[in-house]
Amino acid sequence: MILPHATLAEPPHFSVLERVVFAALVIASAVSFWQRFGPIVRKILQSKKDPGFRLAPIGRRVWDFFSEVLLQSKVIAQRPLPGLAHAFVFWSFLGFALVTLNHCAVGLGIGFLNPESQGLSGLFSRLYFYLAAVFALLCAVSITGLFVRRFFVRPVWLGKKVSIESGYIAFLIFALMATYLAAFFTTDASPAARILWWIHTLALVVFLPLIPHTKHLHLVLSPATIFLSREKFSDIPPLANDEDFGLVAGQDLTQIVSLQAYSCVECGRCTEHCPAASTGKALNPKDVILGLRSYLNEIGPATEEPLLGKHNSQEAIFQCTTCGACEFQCPVGIEHLPIIVGLRRGAVNTGAWEDERGAKLFNQLERGSNALGMSSAERDKFIQKESLPIFDGTQEYCLWLGCMGAYDPKGREIVAAFARIMQHLGTSYGVMSKEKCTGDPVRRLGNDLVFQQLAEANLEILAQNKVKKIVTVCPHCVRTIQEDWKAYGTPPEVEHHTEFLARHITQLPAVKTKESIVYHDPCYLGRYRDVYDEPRQLVQITGKLVEAERNRERSFCCGAGGGLAFLGEESGERVSHARAQELTATGAKTIATACPFCNSMFRDAVGEPNGLSAAPKVLDIAQLIDSHLGEPTLRLYTRKSDEDHRSH
Amino acid sequence: MKIIVAIKQVPDRDAPIRIAAAGKWIEESGLQFSMNEPDAYALEEALRLKEAHGGEVIVLSAGPERVGTTLREALAKGADRAIHVTADDLGERDALGVARLLSEAIKPESPDLILTGLQSEDLGLGQTGVILAELLNLPHASLILHVEKTDAGLKVKRELESGWFQEIELPTPAVLTIQSGGNKLRYATLMGIKRAKTKETRVLNAAELAPVAPPTAVLEKIALPTKQRSTQILPGTPKEAAAALVEKLRFEVRVL
Ligand code: SF4
Ligand code: SF4
Repeated sequence: MILPHATLAEPPHFSVLERVVFAALVIASAVSFWQRFGPIVRKILQSKKDPGFRLAPIGRRVWDFFSEVLLQSKVIAQRPLPGLAHAFVFWSFLGFALVTLNHCAVGLGIGFLNPESQGLSGLFSRLYFYLAAVFALLCAVSITGLFVRRFFVRPVWLGKKVSIESGYIAFLIFALMATYLAAFFTTDASPAARILWWIHTLALVVFLPLIPHTKHLHLVLSPATIFLSREKFSDIPPLANDEDFGLVAGQDLTQIVSLQAYSCVECGRCTEHCPAASTGKALNPKDVILGLRSYLNEIGPATEEPLLGKHNSQEAIFQCTTCGACEFQCPVGIEHLPIIVGLRRGAVNTGAWEDERGAKLFNQLERGSNALGMSSAERDKFIQKESLPIFDGTQEYCLWLGCMGAYDPKGREIVAAFARIMQHLGTSYGVMSKEKCTGDPVRRLGNDLVFQQLAEANLEILAQNKVKKIVTVCPHCVRTIQEDWKAYGTPPEVEHHTEFLARHITQLPAVKTKESIVYHDPCYLGRYRDVYDEPRQLVQITGKLVEAERNRERSFCCGAGGGLAFLGEESGERVSHARAQELTATGAKTIATACPFCNSMFRDAVGEPNGLSAAPKVLDIAQLIDSHLGEPTLRLYTRKSDEDHRSH
Repeated sequence: MKIIVAIKQVPDRDAPIRIAAAGKWIEESGLQFSMNEPDAYALEEALRLKEAHGGEVIVLSAGPERVGTTLREALAKGADRAIHVTADDLGERDALGVARLLSEAIKPESPDLILTGLQSEDLGLGQTGVILAELLNLPHASLILHVEKTDAGLKVKRELESGWFQEIELPTPAVLTIQSGGNKLRYATLMGIKRAKTKETRVLNAAELAPVAPPTAVLEKIALPTKQRSTQILPGTPKEAAAALVEKLRFEVRVL
C-alpha cells in the first residue's frame, strides 16, 4: 500500500517555467479577486458612519464570533443537517488554510510542511496532513450533500432560480478535496502527483476570484458582519442629526448596513420563517437585503436616489410585523429589523408613506393618548369599575395597562385577572392615572416624531410619580419601555407579568388539570426578550403543556406586531389564521397567550367557542391562573425571596 | 395661489374639562390644547391646493403664547409661514371682535383665498369665518367639503342636509369655511418639524391691530352637560314593541 509513504501531492521539484507559470496564475487570480472585491470594500467604507456604534463591550463580540463563526452554532442549531454539512465545509476550510499556504509555497520551492523530514517538524507535518485528509473527506461528502439538496431537493426558500454559480463553486470545492485526497495514493514525483498538484492549483486560482462575484462573498465578509453586529436584538440606531430621517436614500446607508447587504449568503432562512412571506405578501426579507445590495451595486452609497423604488418596494416594507424571525435566523448576522424599521422611518419621517389608517393612527397618537383612538375617560371608567388602585408612590409596582389592557374589552379581562392575582399575592401595586401609549406601534412604523412625544411624556409622568418598578401584561410595552425609551431618558425597571408570576409560582394555585394547553410564544416576549421558560412553568401548574410545531425561538407571529394591528386588511392569507391553525392542530383545548395582541388575533381567528365547534379557548396565562385562585398552592420549596415579598 | 388659513387652538378633546370659578368659561390651567379639527381640514385643503397649483399657504391664529405650538404644527405639515396675533384677552372679544383682528392681519397680505374651519370645537359659534368675509367684503361659502380651482375662480362642493350636496362657482378672492371629513388629514412628520424651525412666524400685537370694542354678545354662564340616561322597556309582543320603537325613533328622537 502506498499510503504511509505518500508525499501528499507536493512534488518536490518544479522547473523554472512551472514556477513562473504558477506565480503568474496566483498573481492573476489575486488581482482579479481584488478587482471585484475592492469596489465592494470601497462602497462599504464610503457609506455613512453608524451613529451610536460602539465596539465595547468587546467580550460579547468575541463570544459571538467564537460561537457563531467558529463553532457555527446558529448554522447548525436552526437547520441541523445542512447546517452540519456547512460546518464541515467551513472547518475544512480553516484546516486547509495551512495546507493551501504550503501548497503555494511548494510551487515556489519554499514548502514548509515536509512529512518526509525527521523529528518534530516531520511528525507535525504528517499529523497535519492526515488531519486535513479527514476534513477533506468530510468536506467532500458534505459539499456533495449540499449540492444534491440545492439542485435536486430544492427547498422553496432557496428561490425558484437555481444558482448555477453555486454548482460551479461546489464542484471546485469538491475538486480541491478530491485532488488532495487522491494525492495520498501517488508516489513522490510521479506524473500523477504532478497532475493532481496542478489541478488543485487551478481549482484554487479559479475559486478565489469567484468569491466576491457570488454569494460566497460571505466567506470573507460574514466573520466581520457577525463580529460587528449591533449590541441587541432589533437595535434601532439613534438618528444622527437634524438631517437624518432614517433610511431615505443611499447617503443614509451606514457601513454596517452596507456590510450586511453584501454578506447575505442567500440561504433563505429569513424568508422560510417570515410570516409575511409565508402568507403570500410582497415582503420577502431576503429580497430586502438583496435589494439593498443591488442598489449599492447599481447606484452606490452617498447618493440621493431614494432607496424605496426599484430595488425595494414601500408596500413590502410596510407588511413586516417586526416579528424578528428573520433577524433571529440569519446565520451571517444580518439585522433585518434596523433595516426594515429604518426604511419605514425614511418613508414616514419625510411623509412619503401615505396610508389612510396609518395616518389616522399617527394623528390619534399625536393628539390623544392611545392607539385605539378612544377617549381617556374610557380608561378612567375601567379603572373605577375594576377598583384598581391609583399609583401614589407608596406601592411597590406600577401596573402598566397599555392600550390593549386599558381599552380593549378582552385586554381588560387580562388586566383584571392579573390584578386579582397580585391582590392574592399581597403585592402592592397601583395604576397611573395618566398613562399614554408607550409608542410601540409608531416606533415600529418609523414615526420618530410621535414616538419621541409619547416616550418623553410617559417618562415624565413616571418620574413625577417616582415609579421604580413596572409590571405589565403586554410584551410590546415591556420591550418599548425597557429598550426604546432609552433614547429619551432612563426608564424604570420593567417586567412582563409572566416573569413576575413565575417568581411567585410557589404561591400560586397548582391544580394540574389534565386539560391540554398549547402555549404560543409572543415574538416580543420570546425572541425580543428571551423569556421562554417562565410562561411554560405557569402553564404547567394549570394543565398539560403541549407544544406547537414551531415554538420558542422559532415561534410564528400572530400578525399583529409592527403596528400592523392598526393598519388595513392584509393581502393574501391572514397570518393569524395560519398560526391559529397550527395551534389548533395540536388538539389542545386551550390556547395560552401572553400578549393581549396575540390574544385578540387568535380569538378572531378561531372564532368564539360555542357548543358546536371544537374551537379552542384563547386565554392569557393570567386568566388561566386567575380561574384557579383560592385552590391549593404548589409549595415544593419556599424561596427566601418569597418570604421577603410576603413580609412587605 | 396665495391662501391664508385661519386656525384656532382649542382644548384637547380628551382633556378633562372643569368650569372656572367665575362660571363664565372653562378653567384653562392644566389643559392641553390642539388644533381645532375643522381648521385642520381647512389646512389640509389649502395644502392640497398648493400641491396642485403652486403658491403659498400662510397660517394665521390669534391667541396667547400657547397658540405658537399649533402654528408650528401647521408649519410642520407644510404651511409656508405663520402669522400669530398675540392676544391674552380673546375671552373679552366675541366672534366679531376676533374676526376684526383676523381681517386686519389678512388685509396687507391680499390673498386669493381664505379658508377656515366651519366652526370651533369649543364655542361652536360658526360665525368667525362668515363675519371675516363681511369685514373683508369678499364673497363666501360655508360648509365646504372640496375646493377646485377653475379658470374663472373656484368650484366648491357644499354639504347640505341628509346626504345632499351643492356645487357652487365663485370668483376669487373668497372666504370659505370648511367642513370636517372632506379629505384625509396628513400626519406631522419629523422632517416637517425640523423644517418648520426655519420658517417665518410674524407676531402681531392684537391691541395694535384693532382696539377691544365692547362685545356684542357675552357668555353669561356655562355648564357641564348633565348626564341623563332613561331606559324604557317597551311592552307587548315583539311586533308591537317594534312598532312602538319605530314610532319613538321617528317622532321622539327623530332619527328615522
Ligand atoms: S420581522 Fe418577521 S415579518 Fe418582518 S421581515 Fe422579518 S420575518 Fe418577516
Ligand atoms: S439575510 Fe441572512 S437569513 Fe436571509 S438569506 Fe441572507 S443570509 Fe440567509
